[in-house]
Amino acid sequence: MGVLPNKRLHHATQRQAEAFTAALAIFLVIFMLGGLIWTPSVQAEDELNCVLCHKFRGLSRIDENGRFRLFYINENLFMKGPHKRIMCMDCHRDIKKIPHDPAEKVSCTVECHLTEPSGKQKFSHAPVKKVLEASVHSKYDKEGNLKDYPEDYPSCKNCHEQPLYRPLSFFKGESAGISRRGLSRCKTCHQTGDFAEDFYSHVTSRLQKTRESKEIVEVCAKCHGDPAFQKRHNLDNVIESYKETFHGKAVSFGSNETADCLDCHVVYGESVHSVESHKEPTASTHKNNIAATCRNEECHFKAGEALASYQVHTDYDNAEKYPMQYYMLKFFKGLMAAVLYFFVVVIFLELLRRLFPNFSFIKEKPADAESVLRNNSTEKGA
Amino acid sequence: MQNKYPRINYRNGKRFFFRFSLLQRIQHVILFSCVITLGLTGFPQRYYNEEWAKPLFTFMGGIDVAPWIHRGAGSVLLALFFFHTGYWMFLFFRNRIKPLIEQRTLSPVTFFKAFLAMEMMPNGKDGRDIIQMFKWLLYLSPKPPQYDRISWKEKFDYFAPYWGIPILGPAGMALWFRDEFSQVLPGWLLNAFYIMHTDEALLAGLFLFFVHWYNVHYAPEKFPLGTVFLTGYLSEADMIHEHYAEYIEAMTESGLEHEIKPQGHH
Amino acid sequence: MLHLIKTIINKVYIIFLMCFTVWYGFFLYPVIYGHGGADHGVDMVASADAEADAEISALLNEADMQEKQFASALKERASTATTNLGYMVVEEEYVQGHFHHVGMTVEPDDTSLCIRCHGAIPHDKAKAIRAFLNMHAFYIACETCHIQPKDEGQIWAFRWYDKESGSPISTPPGLTSKDKSMYGNYGAKIAPGRISSSGQFMFLNDERERAFVEKYLKEKDRLGSTQQSKMKKVIHRRIDEKPLMCDGCHNEKKSYLPFDDLGYPHRRKQDLVGTEVAGMVAKYQEFYMPKFLLPGKGWDADTPNPTEEHDTH
Repeated sequence: MGVLPNKRLHHATQRQAEAFTAALAIFLVIFMLGGLIWTPSVQAEDELNCVLCHKFRGLSRIDENGRFRLFYINENLFMKGPHKRIMCMDCHRDIKKIPHDPAEKVSCTVECHLTEPSGKQKFSHAPVKKVLEASVHSKYDKEGNLKDYPEDYPSCKNCHEQPLYRPLSFFKGESAGISRRGLSRCKTCHQTGDFAEDFYSHVTSRLQKTRESKEIVEVCAKCHGDPAFQKRHNLDNVIESYKETFHGKAVSFGSNETADCLDCHVVYGESVHSVESHKEPTASTHKNNIAATCRNEECHFKAGEALASYQVHTDYDNAEKYPMQYYMLKFFKGLMAAVLYFFVVVIFLELLRRLFPNFSFIKEKPADAESVLRNNSTEKGA
Repeated sequence: MQNKYPRINYRNGKRFFFRFSLLQRIQHVILFSCVITLGLTGFPQRYYNEEWAKPLFTFMGGIDVAPWIHRGAGSVLLALFFFHTGYWMFLFFRNRIKPLIEQRTLSPVTFFKAFLAMEMMPNGKDGRDIIQMFKWLLYLSPKPPQYDRISWKEKFDYFAPYWGIPILGPAGMALWFRDEFSQVLPGWLLNAFYIMHTDEALLAGLFLFFVHWYNVHYAPEKFPLGTVFLTGYLSEADMIHEHYAEYIEAMTESGLEHEIKPQGHH
Repeated sequence: MLHLIKTIINKVYIIFLMCFTVWYGFFLYPVIYGHGGADHGVDMVASADAEADAEISALLNEADMQEKQFASALKERASTATTNLGYMVVEEEYVQGHFHHVGMTVEPDDTSLCIRCHGAIPHDKAKAIRAFLNMHAFYIACETCHIQPKDEGQIWAFRWYDKESGSPISTPPGLTSKDKSMYGNYGAKIAPGRISSSGQFMFLNDERERAFVEKYLKEKDRLGSTQQSKMKKVIHRRIDEKPLMCDGCHNEKKSYLPFDDLGYPHRRKQDLVGTEVAGMVAKYQEFYMPKFLLPGKGWDADTPNPTEEHDTH
């Protein structure tokens, strides 16, 4: 799992007695430390033992609207994200008894029992909602009227699944996962609970994209890649055109260093929830701001202003919007077809000729050497 | 040159006819190594969505390495293009212009004539050869075309990269140095260069794989491997088949008129 | 002779090359007239798929709510989602609108003949416990609870079968694992059978039953509606009016399923028949769902009596 293998604790060459003592001592230390660090956190968060039932993958039904409802909790994964410290009932608030009635929808904007350390306030995702509501993805327009097809506009769960940490190790070169050696430095002082491990994961996960670029594109494609959605909102197939760019290609080959949707559609350094329409003068994709977006200090900072006129979302079939691309493509396709089909025909005929090499409809005298030479020399005048 | 590479060479009692000098063969090896490398690292990017693209691209080093291999091979190819341009200019001067200077007959007209007389230049005989070829292909003549030292097909093969590289190379360079490029030229030109680069590459790839390889490897008498690109010499049978005019000239020049074989099949 | 063979080989090769040339001609067209990407001619299947998608999506545009449900269910395909955490890759089935990570893909039960019509999540009537019943359906074959021995003194033998191959297997590894995410996810199901006089174990739903269902599904459209009902009756002839109830197994005295024989470790057996589960079953019965043990009759008054409507009867 990418975690560094355990250090060998003792050498086999050491004398047995020594080895035994050392092993015992280490065992005791680990045992004691383990007692401190490894409080069985599952039990701690799941006081009501919800997983007694919810650990079964088959716990599911089809609801009245024909939707598949799955009530399974993968504990291993649940414990790998920032929500691990939250009790089930912190989000599923209407559940007061066990066994319980069908639970209500979870609201992400409630205050949970955690205290946000910087401001000593109850933690909530409500500020994110505020940003989202000011963005192009809000159901409401600026006047506060409901937009057309309001059900198409996303809420938290349309883009977010239960978050998972993507910790990084910088200890001996950069790699994915937790550096146990790095963590041991934290644990020198912060021994209580899983604090050090959680804090480590929490911070290092945010030093990189919390999701791979490829996954980001897929999230946007859930809506923006749907032809009916594009038609309803009069949008181009931006997913397709993005994938045709070198950015898109690099991402499809697993690069996380190149630009994905969020890198261009969010003002550099702002919350990823603040995507705006290119018509807004403050948008990163507004024609006056594109250059600044491309030339931000992590991307094309060496580029000139003129890079902004590069057309990222080219639709090669749209002659009106992208005439240059359309007609260039026409030319090259024509050239390709002409050259290749000419030779396909010639080669086919040549093969056909070889089947009956000595046959001919019109008989001629075979050429003699002299006539060949004569014929030839006319071109070699100089 | 004539001394270094005799026009007719004998090996195991068989005649072989001179085609390409060592330097030319080296240029060709560099050319095709670069083109194959460029293809293997480039086409997975064009067809990123196809099933074969990902494994091939990973094999070529993945997103962190393969693009650099691509750029490296492209740079070598572009350098080869410049070298080759200098190379033919040198040969042109030494073999065709210097004699004119020595004879004191150099004028714009003679220069132009000398230029057109270079063996790679398309000429009237190519036109007549193509007509004869179609006559022969359509069973309207028993006589296959009698190509000179460089047939029209080979000229086409030659000019394909010689036109392709100046299109692909600078376009690739612009996409590579897009940031520096955009200091001087507008970004939308990159859109144009992208199409030029990828479509011209596709044409080259499809052409080389089928047409060129058919001519030199797949054709029944060549299969599985034509060896002239390695040895520089062509066998008598192939010579008769492909360059009959050149064959007769070479035989006549070497005083072997009486041993000239007819251009029949088998 | 040698010359003749050579000539024949030569001609055959020429004909092969001609075929290749023709193929190349056809190959070229989509390559030239698509411009990379999947949806532009190069991949015909993908573009056909996209067209079908567009059609269904168009239907979504105009449709009213019910049609929308139908169309979106039609559009849905079993798909997987991948989350790359760098140090591990989570490959899981994609459940639309689902927040928690599933962390696995589920092998379909290709063996069960009930699932062919009723689907893998069949329980819907008993509103309060249907999710629990579906949970059990994940690792227990339908006939385990829905077909009990009719004759006095007769008992079934129980075995695990592999969901993919259908063949009986010994204890699945997940059963003895301490990893809780493996619970219930065995890739296998418990099903009843008989032991023949020769000692051979035979599943209740054997080849013969399978052939019935197979034949019926094949001939269904040819049959009249009356014959269809008749056929259904025959296929469902052995189904019990009242299925096995929760406390049939979850009790401390005598369990219907022989947990020991099925390879359940002692601690897990204790969970199932001890206070943890059996206690909850009892509590459920007492406090929340008095008629919990009669699916369809308790809790939700809107639900009609299953015996009247349930299509297995």
